[in-house]
Amino acid sequence: MIKFLAHFFIPQISNNYRSKILHPKILSIFIIFFFLSGFLIYFVKNNYPQVLGISSDISIEQLLILTNQKRQENGLSPLKLDSQLMQAAMGKGSDMFSKNYWAHISPDGTTPWVFIKNAGYGYVYAGENLARGYSNSEDVVNAWMNSPSHRDNVLSSKYEDVGFAVVSGNLTGEETVLVIEMFGATRLAGEPSIASEETSSEIAVITPTPVSLVGGISPIPTAAPSLIPTPTPVNNQVARQVLTRNSNFQIEPIVNGAVFSKDLTRSITSVFIFVLILDMVIIERKKILRFVGHNLDHVLFMGLILGAIFIIMKGSVI
Amino acid sequence: MIEKFIKHFNYYVSLVSIFIVGLAAAVIASPNFSLQIFIVILTIVIYVLWGILHHYITHELTAKIMVEYILIGLLGLSMIFFIFMGGRV
Repeated sequence: MIKFLAHFFIPQISNNYRSKILHPKILSIFIIFFFLSGFLIYFVKNNYPQVLGISSDISIEQLLILTNQKRQENGLSPLKLDSQLMQAAMGKGSDMFSKNYWAHISPDGTTPWVFIKNAGYGYVYAGENLARGYSNSEDVVNAWMNSPSHRDNVLSSKYEDVGFAVVSGNLTGEETVLVIEMFGATRLAGEPSIASEETSSEIAVITPTPVSLVGGISPIPTAAPSLIPTPTPVNNQVARQVLTRNSNFQIEPIVNGAVFSKDLTRSITSVFIFVLILDMVIIERKKILRFVGHNLDHVLFMGLILGAIFIIMKGSVI
Repeated sequence: MIEKFIKHFNYYVSLVSIFIVGLAAAVIASPNFSLQIFIVILTIVIYVLWGILHHYITHELTAKIMVEYILIGLLGLSMIFFIFMGGRV
């Protein structure tokens, strides 16, 4: 066994001083394997999604916990899950899939604020964070925290409520999972609770409506919110219904195709990098003259493949 | 090894530059999956052609070396194809 492995990975007399894995025949086997596996994975994914498909482990509960955790770490009060903002987030997600776009403003000019208003949320402040291509809630929240404009939304003291939607579908020809986070507040920052009669009369004279900017987009002017804003208590029952519907958005496959292809390719690429470096070092030490390509080229090339996998498989936020 | 590196220093700098430009373009193309794949494939093709051309210029090009570059390039292509077919979240 050790002899076989050495023959495969270490340059020696048995493999003509070139690791067997780097011989044209073995390289060809790997090439055929990846091409055939690509077709196979595509076939199984489309015909047996319960066996091999794309899934993500993003839940609204986790998004809320992580968002509030970040806020509390920064001395801010936690956000409340709001059913109307959840509805707005769902509306935005459905709109992106139906109109096939990935942006804050739809191709026909619909802004996020329209969905919030249509859901019946009388906002004074509102904001929106979007994410796609992430496989778990932690990565989504971390990606938002690493982007200054999204971080500003997560850590804004103006917001009181939040709504999430996790929606999957085909966007611009690609199966993907979108995460929509809508922030809102129904009263001005720093104002005491709107439950107070006196405060309500004070708010009534405050115009115009300040609206927060999200990722550089200019919010459209909106009609003044209700002058005596009505608080939007979280209706746990409604929130839970939306949450459950969103969480069970797809069949959970036995094997996640995206993770499987990424992990397998990364592992094999790493093995090639290791063997190429080992081959280079041993041949240099033994001072053996060979007519082969530069191993360092191939090491850099494999580095490119690893970098490309990381970039391609990484999600994005706007 | 170091002598070889110094001898081909310009070639390695150009190669690393090609890779950096390719990866940067893939980042800019995000989240367009198809465009990202196309950019990576283009970078792979340039790698193979540039490797072969370099060996031709330095009079080291043999059929064996040419096959090696083509196979390493094809290996990279097949891996990217596999990733593409596997899809992403």
